[in-house]
Amino acid sequence: MLVQRLSRLSDLPEIQRLAGAIPAGMGALPDDATRLAEILELSEASMIEAISFSGEERYFFVIEDTDTGRLAGCSSVIASVGFSEPFYTFRNEMFVHASRQLGLHNRMHVLSLCHDLTGHSLLSGFFLEPAYQHADGMALNARGRLLFMASHPQRFAESTSVEVAGVSDEQGNAPFWDAVGRHFFAVSYSEAERIGTSRGRSCLAELMPGYPIYVPMLSDEAQEVIGQVHPAAQSVFDLLMEEGFETDNYVDIFDGGPVVHARTRELHTVRGSLTAKVQIGQMLPADDRWLVANQRIADFRSSVLRLAWTPGEALVLDAPTARLLNVSADDIVRLAREV
Amino acid sequence: MLVRAARATDIGDLLELAAHAGAGLTTLPASEDRLLRRLQNVEQSFLGQVDRADSDYLFILENDAGRVVGTSGMLGSAGMREPWYSYRMGLTVAASRELDVYRQQPTLFLVNDLTGSTALCSLYLTPQYRRSDIARLISKARFLFMAEFASAFSARVIVEMRGRSDSAGRSPFWDSLGQHFFRMDFARADYLTGMGNKAFIAEMMPKFPLYACFLSDAARDAIGKVHPDSEAGLAIVQEEGMTYQGYIDIFDGGATLEAPLAQVRAISQSKVLVLAIGTPGDDAELFLIHNRGRTDCRMISAPARMAAGTLVVARESAEQLGLRSGTPVRAVALCNAHASGVPPYEA
Repeated sequence: MLVQRLSRLSDLPEIQRLAGAIPAGMGALPDDATRLAEILELSEASMIEAISFSGEERYFFVIEDTDTGRLAGCSSVIASVGFSEPFYTFRNEMFVHASRQLGLHNRMHVLSLCHDLTGHSLLSGFFLEPAYQHADGMALNARGRLLFMASHPQRFAESTSVEVAGVSDEQGNAPFWDAVGRHFFAVSYSEAERIGTSRGRSCLAELMPGYPIYVPMLSDEAQEVIGQVHPAAQSVFDLLMEEGFETDNYVDIFDGGPVVHARTRELHTVRGSLTAKVQIGQMLPADDRWLVANQRIADFRSSVLRLAWTPGEALVLDAPTARLLNVSADDIVRLAREV
Repeated sequence: MLVRAARATDIGDLLELAAHAGAGLTTLPASEDRLLRRLQNVEQSFLGQVDRADSDYLFILENDAGRVVGTSGMLGSAGMREPWYSYRMGLTVAASRELDVYRQQPTLFLVNDLTGSTALCSLYLTPQYRRSDIARLISKARFLFMAEFASAFSARVIVEMRGRSDSAGRSPFWDSLGQHFFRMDFARADYLTGMGNKAFIAEMMPKFPLYACFLSDAARDAIGKVHPDSEAGLAIVQEEGMTYQGYIDIFDGGATLEAPLAQVRAISQSKVLVLAIGTPGDDAELFLIHNRGRTDCRMISAPARMAAGTLVVARESAEQLGLRSGTPVRAVALCNAHASGVPPYEA
């Protein structure tokens, strides 16, 4: 059984193992014990604080395979991005250059460095081991955190963004980086990514061009990957698209991948989630898949279950499932239907 | 060889010249209507009947048979009716001590900085007359005229040199930059500007500074360079102290040279001297000599010798100037005797 929970400091060796397995270009986690420990400590601190607004908290979720006790994946939510250091993206803009006299009308696609997404909650750090990349695993890792956000809206921002990995190859070369960032920062994309994940991306971003970039002046290879998703990130991107994220407005300043955004409460999982009171009893065999989560903070649990449940009624869970979700009778859980 | 003011009656000869000059000589378009209007304005300018902002001077180089074999000109004050655009080559530095990074990124800024300058233009010499001293005469005659009528010109003089393009008229700078914004080839854009159609530049060109790293290698190499055919013209204005200060043409990336008017050699060193007819001597230097006329200006280069406030020239030279002995002229050595530069055209 796969269950999602928030990380503990004792997860460090397992998370380090995951970080080492993340393919180049995905940029999900630093492969660095010290940095990982800092992230886990930040996550720990985020859980216990009595929080009434979004700040620099970072919630680090892990997927645990309860059969083996090993971790299968991880994902994060940063409560408010750009809180401690600026958050940079390129905004897609369209300029029309027209001359009535000459009968010319020319649309120019321009990328402008901006901080528009400052203050958004940011979904990041998605990684799932290949063996677990089935429908339940993907749904749990991508959407379980949205149930957490739905239950604790005061901890998150009104808008949520996601940086989706852009195109890069196995050698760690990214066409967008080669055409843009590299001119301002003479290192390979893989090296830039390493610096970005270990020291923070804003120190690199500050070296990036401040004036808009006219896209037609970039190499064809770079133009083709603007807004394109890394093949390894395609399935999580598709899941996010079902949540109603908007894709066309922003791209990542390093690899040109899409940076998508939406109103938090309009995300399908958040908006469509329902609550139910728990009853302990006999679970009937069923085919409906539900993402179910408790409403705790540090003891947050979420899992994908087969249930026969009618909205409005109590949710009947057997004792092992209730233990898995860390709930008892009369607790309230949050559910979202998986299709 | 004689330099004089252009007249409307020169139109036939000028159309023929312009037809041969091809792309690159944007201020002398091969359109009869437009050229005629320009010549009418030139005549008015020489008469002193137009504002400096509209003034336009065109000089004609005649061979000894009275045929038109070259031109040169200047706008009294560029950009006072329509914007005058240049790119200024600036610099963006990306540096981080922490990350051990230091990168200089040349950056192009679209500016109107040169607004108001007196702008040299329309330099053209028929191929068989492309010799250093003839080229110096037609180019530098303008400076002598400016020295004489300084109040009609600006404190800064500029010249936009023609940038690199190949024999088919393709400009690497244009292909990498302007083409994206205009969706037309260089020759057509060049023609449109020549036709006085400048508003479209503001409408179509990028409004933000451009990082040179986004240009092709060939385009970057063309920045601040000149067309091979303009090397001689460049050498001549460099002899006079004009220098490249980082301004380039927005279409072809060619260098714009500039100097404070008062510091141009032929202007600052020119003197008013009394003409004397005699024997300049075998080792006499070539002088640029101006009869001090405005609409009836005549300028030549001839061997001459300065002696006690007089300029001694041969009788033929005085006849070319249409002057008698005892008349004041403005004169300056055709080039700095101490200059060690390469002659504009190899001998």
